[in-house]
Amino acid sequence: MTYLISKIFYFGPLIFAFGFVMPLTAQILEQTGWNSPLGLTPLLAGFVLAAVWGTIAQIRGRWI
Amino acid sequence: MNIAHKPDELLSGVELSTLSDKELMKLERQIAEQHIGKTPWLAIVWGFSNLAVWLSLWPLVFFGVMPLWLGFLIATVNVSICYLPSHEAQHDIIAKPGEPLRWLNEMLGHLSTIPLAFPYRYLKVTHMEHHKNANHPDLDPDYGTHASNPLAAIWQSIKIRQPRMEGFTDSYAKTAQRVGRADVIGDAVIYTLAFYSILIGLAWSGHALEAALLWWLPRHIGLTYIQYYLSWAPHHPGTETGRYKDTRSFKSLFGNIGSAGMQYHIVHHLHPRIPLYRTPRAYWEMKPILEARGCEVHEL
Repeated sequence: MTYLISKIFYFGPLIFAFGFVMPLTAQILEQTGWNSPLGLTPLLAGFVLAAVWGTIAQIRGRWI
Repeated sequence: MNIAHKPDELLSGVELSTLSDKELMKLERQIAEQHIGKTPWLAIVWGFSNLAVWLSLWPLVFFGVMPLWLGFLIATVNVSICYLPSHEAQHDIIAKPGEPLRWLNEMLGHLSTIPLAFPYRYLKVTHMEHHKNANHPDLDPDYGTHASNPLAAIWQSIKIRQPRMEGFTDSYAKTAQRVGRADVIGDAVIYTLAFYSILIGLAWSGHALEAALLWWLPRHIGLTYIQYYLSWAPHHPGTETGRYKDTRSFKSLFGNIGSAGMQYHIVHHLHPRIPLYRTPRAYWEMKPILEARGCEVHEL
């Protein structure tokens, strides 16, 4: 159990990115009616942002 | 001297510079005793009603009764002010162990910090260590908030909350371990997992904006506000340790209420069982003694 919890915390940035940043980005794009670059769907645009930003945060240990 | 005397009577005609440390301490305690033991009903009502308002925002926003922007503003206030009632409970100000209202003390402590997603026992254990070791680089769990100026303090608060940065999450956990209270780290783990699970659950069920603006962002703003006014401002510059040197009084642009009642934080560190609402009065009564002690009380 401790091992599992420590892994969840270790991968926290990626979990947060795909769990929260991705759908949040998609819903912001939908609400504002903003067209995603390259014609991506809002969810796919959210996925790209989450993958890039989440990976950077995972490696650096900080979001900003 | 009679403790029933009014504070101004206690100090009238007394040349404080001629008194010994022991005599100054006696006077200080006599003033403090007149403020201890008063039930802070305002903090009790504040803690429970603040939680009720924050909880009510969710259905109000979800059912379209309240616009999300207004919910965000109210939630930010809710999170920013939710810590203080718990802080009163951490110091057993509502009731000490064994007293009739002890259940209320503990209930307030546990419930009021729910919007902050921090558990009461974890906050209490680490806060007691902050009091014992304020400004000690290795032993004060809040030492990570130290910064050279107000803007740097805000940036520092944001920085230490980043996933693998030192100075907040790690120092609280290390403190709990050091004092033999590793059990409370479990509370923090449960709260953290619950907080992020709820955010993720809401986000994937189509309510990411609501989750972000009613909880995630208000929590970050609230934590910055709390760390600025409760940790940084009253301890700045934070270079000295010791009962009369580790805390100060300060003048806030936003007044005492706008600064979470922390302008008189020095009184809280000297006598933690004085309720927050009594600290301004206790400060003014005690100020000549604090000056005689060489405390940093020049801004107020």
